[in-house]
Amino acid sequence: MSRRPPRGEYIETDTGNKVARKATLVGTQNIMLGGKTVIQPEVMIRGDLARSVPSSSSTASSSGAAGGAPPNNTAVAIGRYCFLSRGCCLRPPGRLYKGAFTYMPLRMGDHVYIGPGTVVQAASIGSHVHIGQRVVVGEFAIIKDYVRILDETVVPPNMVIPSFSIVAGQPARVVGEVPEGGHEAFELRELYKTVGNNPQPAPS
Amino acid sequence: MAPLTPYTFIQCPCSDPSTLASSRPADASSPTSISGQERDDDDGRTFDPRAPRSNYSLYPLEYLLYCEDCHQIRCPRCVSEEIVTYYCPNCLFEVPSSNLKSEGNRCTRSCFQCPICIGPLGVTSLEKPADANLLAAPDNAASPPSGPYILICSYCNWSSTEIGIQFDKPNSIHAQLAKMRNGGVTRLTAKERKEKRREAAAQSGTGVPPTAAPTTTGGDGQDLDVEAQFANLKHFYQGQLADANAAGASSLSSLGDLGFASPNSLSRIMSIYTGGSLHDKKAKTRVGTMREALDSDEGFKLADLDESGAIEKLHEEGYDGTVSSEQLSNQPPNVGEVQLHGRSRFASELRPIPYLLRTKRSKRCPICRHIISKPEAKVQTTRFRIRLVAGSYIPSIAIRPLPGGGPPPDTLQPLRPAQFLLTFKNPIFETVKVTLASPATTPGRFASKVTVLCPQFEIDANTDVWDEALNKDGDKERRRRKGEDSGSGPAGGGQAEAGKIWERGRNWVSIVVEVVPASLRPPTISFGKKEDTGPLREDEDVLEIPMFVRVEWEVDAGGDEVGSVPSKDKDKEAKEKRELAYWCVLGLGRVSQG
Repeated sequence: MSRRPPRGEYIETDTGNKVARKATLVGTQNIMLGGKTVIQPEVMIRGDLARSVPSSSSTASSSGAAGGAPPNNTAVAIGRYCFLSRGCCLRPPGRLYKGAFTYMPLRMGDHVYIGPGTVVQAASIGSHVHIGQRVVVGEFAIIKDYVRILDETVVPPNMVIPSFSIVAGQPARVVGEVPEGGHEAFELRELYKTVGNNPQPAPS
Repeated sequence: MAPLTPYTFIQCPCSDPSTLASSRPADASSPTSISGQERDDDDGRTFDPRAPRSNYSLYPLEYLLYCEDCHQIRCPRCVSEEIVTYYCPNCLFEVPSSNLKSEGNRCTRSCFQCPICIGPLGVTSLEKPADANLLAAPDNAASPPSGPYILICSYCNWSSTEIGIQFDKPNSIHAQLAKMRNGGVTRLTAKERKEKRREAAAQSGTGVPPTAAPTTTGGDGQDLDVEAQFANLKHFYQGQLADANAAGASSLSSLGDLGFASPNSLSRIMSIYTGGSLHDKKAKTRVGTMREALDSDEGFKLADLDESGAIEKLHEEGYDGTVSSEQLSNQPPNVGEVQLHGRSRFASELRPIPYLLRTKRSKRCPICRHIISKPEAKVQTTRFRIRLVAGSYIPSIAIRPLPGGGPPPDTLQPLRPAQFLLTFKNPIFETVKVTLASPATTPGRFASKVTVLCPQFEIDANTDVWDEALNKDGDKERRRRKGEDSGSGPAGGGQAEAGKIWERGRNWVSIVVEVVPASLRPPTISFGKKEDTGPLREDEDVLEIPMFVRVEWEVDAGGDEVGSVPSKDKDKEAKEKRELAYWCVLGLGRVSQG
């Protein structure tokens, strides 16, 4: 990440990522950004919660969180044109695996919007997904492509949300279907341009 | 009150009786040459977005499809759907339609929903994974957990132990659950039940002492569940019918032959419940009465009218132990439980809910039967083979308050003019001519005044984005040639002017609409005629403008362009004219009730 002489609000990388200086990224060596991704201020990404080696070694005896993970372990993988709004948190899910607690990677496709104040602990999120504000996505949830999660939804752990679902409620249930004409609304290219150090105005 | 985001709803022509009658043949004929005069019969009628019927015909643009052969908008209500694939929304496995007939519309793998909160249930080993593992024996840690297994909801922590169900294997839960009643009692399958009955029949046939019968039947009656009872009854009555047929073939039917115990009504009832397989052409000839079932082998069971158990349980568990109607409606049809008959009263009587299957559906035009939307059959793919959405044929309309008038207030002030910017975006590769019409005052009790400042304009074609980037000069030149505004900035220095476009871009045009919201006080004095002086109804304060949009464009007569059909006369070298007209509703905002 290059530091340019004029200190803007965002750090813009060569691959087009725009990362706010006020974002909290823990364990950056375990976070993969696909490019053109926006990370707004006060976002937290827990890259430190990487997969601990699921062997019966002595390192697993502690909480199993940080420390023992090899550096090539990706904890959070994010695709292109993702948008992480202010105050959201990405946290890899963890569980007991063969008697030891380990975290599993959180994978995210392209064009994923995550609303402000949302906590995501999903195992995987597909492409073209819109997650509203103050949503909780439980551990090991699997969200497929073209899914819209409305505001203040609580997605229970291990839930699978199939493609073209509109999901709401606590716990989440499928409340509707994304119409055929609504696929383009998931594109985040325009939104990407509206933030950064020299943002462009939103098109009318 | 929540501020309202402006919206645009478009009316599908399917709900409009006048368009159904008049415009269908006109649209079907290929060269549309409808001029303004031919629409005179429509002019007297303006669309009222508040009419009760309108609820069913207004859709956001995304929900609408477009038939390329009829050149008409199609909505989710008028298209006909065909199921392409059935799949489980949890395991995402496709279910062949043959399985659907035999196994029903629920997932038969291990996908279940919590009966309490409908969260997904997971299979867990009941055996403790032993905290001791972490401290001591590391060799134990690698050993896989072993049964018994339970279903557990990770959202509300409900587990199947609460209804007394455990499983021996972690897989094929559905099959295991089908053999189990709440409390862990095994439940006979249909096949086993048949065999059991045959055994019993064989026993009685070989001469079991009749004195022993009362005791055994008394014992059997206790665990005679609904399914077994039905099977026994069916068997018994089938036997009875056969006897009646044989005996009464010669007799005449009588009018008194309508009692419960008559073979006639019985065969009728049984044909209702067993799918007509028992229907008999000779039914008329039967007479007389038959004897009723007498013991549990014949399906006889004393009604259990003693509710003291339920009352006591209610005392113990209270309201928390009962089920809500919502939980009940989520339950799969369940006839296997003794006491239920499908009506659980206590949470302990609920069953895990197998996931309902979901479908992928293709859509057809209701008029010409052409497919207008067809997804790929595979569950995991999100591509569509055919997807003719209205958004790629008709201009989209975006609404926002006119900039420059200070920060837009949350509500519109009554009797104070407000200006809104409508941005029309052209999705097709031809220049389109748009004509707008709206009533001078909105329909309904509170008539707001509406003025469309520029009701007629052209939108440039949706050319490639690169074209614009490459010939910026050409673009500018064209804009100047139109002579409507000098550059991309708002015309006239921020002052809306009648007849002028506000702003224009590559494939979009913004125009100004001025509204004077009406005062929301219901008229207190009625001047002779009958006026509605009632209080404000729900959402009556939302300012909605009905607007008639007519889009005209020209296509190449070749017939391979968007929205065209092959023309019949090839001599006609010129371009073909196309036209599409529809009503839409612009919701601008709430009028304040000051």
